[in-house]
Amino acid sequence: MKRIIVSALLLCGSLSLLYAQTDTLQLEATTIVAHAEDRQIKSTSLVADVVTTDFLEKHFTGNIIQSIGKLPGIQSMDIGSGFSKPMIRGMGFNRIAVAESGIKQEGQQWGADHGLEIDAFNVEGIRVLKGPASLLYGSDAMGGVIEIQPVTFKQENCRYAEVSMLGKSVNAGFGLSLMAGASGKRWMFQARFSEQHFGDYRVPTDSIVYLTQRLPIHGRKLKNTAGFDRSGSITAGYRAGKYKGFVTISDAFEKTGFFEGAHGVPDITRLADDGDSRNIGLPFSKVNHLKVSTRQVISTGRSIFTMDLGYQNNDRSEWSSFHTHYGTQPKPEKDPDKEHAFMLHTLSGSASWRIMHSARFEETFGLSGAWQRNTISGYGFLLPEYRRTTAGAVWTATFKPDSRWTLTGGLRYDIGNINIKGFHDPYLETYLAERTDISLSPAEIADYSNVSRATDSSLGDYSASFGAVWTPFQGHIVKANIGRCFRLPGANELSANGVHHGTFRHEQGDPDLDPEHGWQGDLSYRYEWNGFHIEVSGFASLYGNYIFLDPTGSWSVLPHAGQIYRYTQTEAEFLGGEIDALLPIFSWLDYSFSGEYVYTYNVHAHTALSFSPPATMNNALTWHNRLADITAEVRSTAAQDRVAHNEQKTPGSTTVNLSVNREVRMGPVEAVISLSANNLLDKKYYNHLSFYRRIQVPEPGRNIQLSVKLKFNKKTS
Amino acid sequence: MKTINRILAAAAVASLVIISDSCKKDDGDVTPPVISLEEPEEGDEIAIGGDHGMHFECDFSDNVALASYKIDIHYNDGEYAHEHSKAENLFSFQKTYTDIAGKKNAHVHQHDVVIPETAPEGKYHLMVYCTDEAGNETYIVRNIVLSHDAEEHDHDHDHEHEHEGE
Repeated sequence: MKRIIVSALLLCGSLSLLYAQTDTLQLEATTIVAHAEDRQIKSTSLVADVVTTDFLEKHFTGNIIQSIGKLPGIQSMDIGSGFSKPMIRGMGFNRIAVAESGIKQEGQQWGADHGLEIDAFNVEGIRVLKGPASLLYGSDAMGGVIEIQPVTFKQENCRYAEVSMLGKSVNAGFGLSLMAGASGKRWMFQARFSEQHFGDYRVPTDSIVYLTQRLPIHGRKLKNTAGFDRSGSITAGYRAGKYKGFVTISDAFEKTGFFEGAHGVPDITRLADDGDSRNIGLPFSKVNHLKVSTRQVISTGRSIFTMDLGYQNNDRSEWSSFHTHYGTQPKPEKDPDKEHAFMLHTLSGSASWRIMHSARFEETFGLSGAWQRNTISGYGFLLPEYRRTTAGAVWTATFKPDSRWTLTGGLRYDIGNINIKGFHDPYLETYLAERTDISLSPAEIADYSNVSRATDSSLGDYSASFGAVWTPFQGHIVKANIGRCFRLPGANELSANGVHHGTFRHEQGDPDLDPEHGWQGDLSYRYEWNGFHIEVSGFASLYGNYIFLDPTGSWSVLPHAGQIYRYTQTEAEFLGGEIDALLPIFSWLDYSFSGEYVYTYNVHAHTALSFSPPATMNNALTWHNRLADITAEVRSTAAQDRVAHNEQKTPGSTTVNLSVNREVRMGPVEAVISLSANNLLDKKYYNHLSFYRRIQVPEPGRNIQLSVKLKFNKKTS
Repeated sequence: MKTINRILAAAAVASLVIISDSCKKDDGDVTPPVISLEEPEEGDEIAIGGDHGMHFECDFSDNVALASYKIDIHYNDGEYAHEHSKAENLFSFQKTYTDIAGKKNAHVHQHDVVIPETAPEGKYHLMVYCTDEAGNETYIVRNIVLSHDAEEHDHDHDHEHEHEGE
């Protein structure tokens, strides 16, 4: 803790030094011309990244998390080439939230091989809040939040359409998305349909070595990693006077195969080339995410009342040829290969009332609640059935004493109840009772065969935040924030008791876990001047009751399991920062730099926490010429030697990327063309955060990608 | 440009403070133990019903201190294509040993795995797990075949357990 305070003070010190130096500058005006992006950054004292449509178009990969994973402080945990999980400053899974129109996306975020079910083509803008955001979003947003900007009214009286195409060489993938919309005086309407298909992805290696066995990679393509996704959405909006309302219905479907070496003990016969790089064989997962949401806004001059309501259905299933270690377990008659299925229903809503007392002072009162039900099926067991209810009340305020200062603060209290159904596995019980090589007491057998322990847990905790945004002079922004955040333990952490098929670990929950909570301090400085900008941010956090899987040292008797890992709580420290700079060298040449570093520490184990992102640095040169913008980029990733128990170290890497972007206007049509080559040198390297890292699968090889977006816009009278 | 330079310098200092500050030495041991299994080898045929059990010879080592190891043999159902017709008399073996605890290196030679006459022939997985005192774990897998025709393993060693180590 001392260390954290010291570094925060030093950072303060260097910033005040800076202020003293710039004080001598004669600046004429302190009024800041705020465009939308600027406003979004300044509206919060948390470190915020605003990702514009322009950035998303240029860095489009068909995968929204991989696109924003290039930004400092945001990481992408990849599951093959198609799907990814987001991470903010080293926090992932249930410790960050993804929200669309105020509705928190609810899938099976806890799973390492579960991606994010959002149509990448349908994202027009993103705001990422780095830091404790549970004040705004309740439990789960303790590490930050990725806010996907909602579809809204475009300019009045216009009709618009978009055709987007994407082709990739690394997995022979292609995607198409069609969008059409109209925005009138009172009504708006927008619909989109997207589809992407991809084959097995190429890796720059002929074999991998896993568990001392050499496994061949035929044709340098990782077998059975093909997949596809299909999604559609419709948004309708209506406005009249003080009222504005939107309804959105969206559905995203994904199906993706898993490399067979990653499921079970590797068997060379199963990795033989099947001659088809586009089929999706077993094992595979599929997931359908349906979301219906509405937003109602009433704005009078002095206050804004907003109400969001959403229903989500996340239907995930994982398929794998029927297998069991328990002799008496019969093969199911219906869907014999369905190993796990989770059906998660979420009904959530929030209401907020923002009152602008004066140009200087405003307050917001809010209430929110969510109701969840998870049901399961399949021949395997991983996660229990549960019902979860949460509710919270929040107050935030913004005070602007003068044009240079904005102070923000808030308090929130949340309560949550989770009711987990027990699950008894009779086949496991018989198996253990009949085994002759080990002898277990009836109590031990009952303990093992209760794969989920019935748990009813009600917990509550508070969040708080206080921060300041200071713009001493035009172009300078200093932000400081201190916040408290919390997270309620999840169903797997409270009640799991069995082998997790993805990690081969016997994981054991603890029904007595307390909510995780933490304090985080953030400090950032941004300077903009004539196209030049630099932003430096640092953070330090201290968590209590941080939940992690602790190796117990006692052996599990379950087949394919080593020692038992138990969800345990400890103090944890996170420390780090980001740098982002753009320096125009000439009018036609820009240099940009970004870097990030995260340090994690598990106080109980005296090691790092698992999935700590390695330090990365990105150097890029962009040449603007009459034809196009050409960017050459070198991405350097440091080795990650700071690992948790039973996590592998990952060597560092350097990759080279090249991209050409061009925007063309042909009458009413605007085209954005982007041609890029990632991992240009086809280098073999590993990503510490990739799902396949554990089994020694390197990152995808060279990828040449073409993305074309045609935008049509017609003004109607 | 002067201001910019100053800003850059200050920024560099600030980031250095953060980075250098956090280079605290982790004293938690994250180096897993090493298992070097000499016998059985990959693909070995093991005789069913032998008198003095399977020949198991293995070296364990750890940078700090070993804790225990576990031998697990189970029918290799191929994970993905197993029909459970002969489930009742499937042979399995599972035993944990703590006699390597505290040592940095241990050589294990034993014949604990006695395969009964009733064990069905076929492909089996032999898994060896090892933990160290900090909870780091390593495991390896060998594909072995149990067969009535396999030659009993002949070798010159005496058949007592032997453990060597520091």
